[in-house]
Amino acid sequence: MTQIIKLYDDSKCTACRGCQLACKQWNDLKAGQTEQQGTYQNPPTLQANTYMIIHFQDYATSEGNVKWLFRKEACMHCTEAACVTVCPSGALYYNKELGTVGLDREKCIGCKECVAACPFEVPKYDSKTSKVYKCDMCESRISNKLEPACVKACPTGALKWGEKDKMLELAQKRVGQLGGNAAIYGDQYVGGTHFMYVLKEGKDVYADIHKNPKVPLSVILWKKWLKPLSLLGAGGVIGGSLLHYILHGPKRPDQDAGNDVKTEGRE
Amino acid sequence: MKPKKGMVKVTSLYERVVHWVLAISCLLLCYTGLGMMFESLNFLGIIIGGLKGLKIVHNFTAIIFTVSLILAIKMWWREAGIFVFPEDIDWVLAAGGYLWHVDKVPETGKYNPGQKAFFLVVALFGAMMVVTGFFMWLQPGFLPMEALRWMYPLHVFGFVVIFAFFFIHLYLGTIGNPGSVQAMISGYMEKPVLKMLHPKWLKEMEHEGTLVVYKGEDKKKA
Repeated sequence: MTQIIKLYDDSKCTACRGCQLACKQWNDLKAGQTEQQGTYQNPPTLQANTYMIIHFQDYATSEGNVKWLFRKEACMHCTEAACVTVCPSGALYYNKELGTVGLDREKCIGCKECVAACPFEVPKYDSKTSKVYKCDMCESRISNKLEPACVKACPTGALKWGEKDKMLELAQKRVGQLGGNAAIYGDQYVGGTHFMYVLKEGKDVYADIHKNPKVPLSVILWKKWLKPLSLLGAGGVIGGSLLHYILHGPKRPDQDAGNDVKTEGRE
Repeated sequence: MKPKKGMVKVTSLYERVVHWVLAISCLLLCYTGLGMMFESLNFLGIIIGGLKGLKIVHNFTAIIFTVSLILAIKMWWREAGIFVFPEDIDWVLAAGGYLWHVDKVPETGKYNPGQKAFFLVVALFGAMMVVTGFFMWLQPGFLPMEALRWMYPLHVFGFVVIFAFFFIHLYLGTIGNPGSVQAMISGYMEKPVLKMLHPKWLKEMEHEGTLVVYKGEDKKKA
């Protein structure tokens, strides 16, 4: 499997939001009516009909200047994806060729288990359709050797699409050029994401970024431990009852006396 | 099954209806829940339109379960929800005569400590299933994500506990104690069985004169 990833370099991003629009167009998503909230960031969060957004953030540098900080938020396409682990219907799956996380909406039953499991809080539920929505890395495009729509639309080269090794090499080089607190984000989490960032500042500076995303402990406990335990427990009581019936036997009133209470053991 | 002459009335119609609504909704929840939890059991959904059907039946059966659970707790907590000392301890120490030979099983009243434990497990874990289940159903928005995530393992843990107790209840209420299942069908039990299982209660009823004995149908029985 040649792993292909999407790389976002926020130092090259001008927040033109061409990617956001291209995403809407390719995936045929309607725009929602929003209210001005004192920021260019719009809509304010990911939505069932918005698979990606550009975050707009003001921040003060150490010299006291106020600067823009941009960040593209979308499904990170984890290698160890909690959403795939919890999905009961197989609607969420790993793309066998590329390792991205696809979503077959025909199979989605709208149980929302992925919504609560995702360490990046990406999947969004739409109560009108009773289904979950998220970026599938434009699976219809990438499985036909095309780059995702957002990458295609990016005019500045902030978004790139390519083999994982090459992208990581490129990212490393860029981090070296930027210096300071610049770092790669994504390679060290959840087995490595298939959408990674080069961040020009330390990740702690970014608003609403997940600082240490990992498969939630609750998911591990639930799927790796309690699920087998439930079978063991059910089997145990069924077998135990059967054994009790054979070894100890049912409890019957004493036939002879009719008064004395005795168990009818079959030792 | 119709009661026979001489059998003793042990449950009211209301008790039996609440019991069976709770029991059937609980079983349906187990069935649909298992069908969703295990991929190998997905086929359980075929008769109700696949996984989506399982989800819908699970969610709406939960409402029936919730209502019957509330009625059951209201109806039984006084009798089955409170342990009485020291007689209940004696019974537990003898395991009710179920696990090894006991010459004289300590006498218990209407509900023995095993039945009380079952009631309490159903009441407490049932309530936990209702609470966790409704957060899972109505999410997101009611709980912070970190708390919401824990509803899922708690829900499965509740299943593990309730299923174990349910099956023991089924066994002891049927073939494990021949004659006791009648209490939840016709509402009557054979006196010797009642005397063996709930001697103190029988004495109480005899003493207070509240014992109702089935006299048989006038036409058939002389």
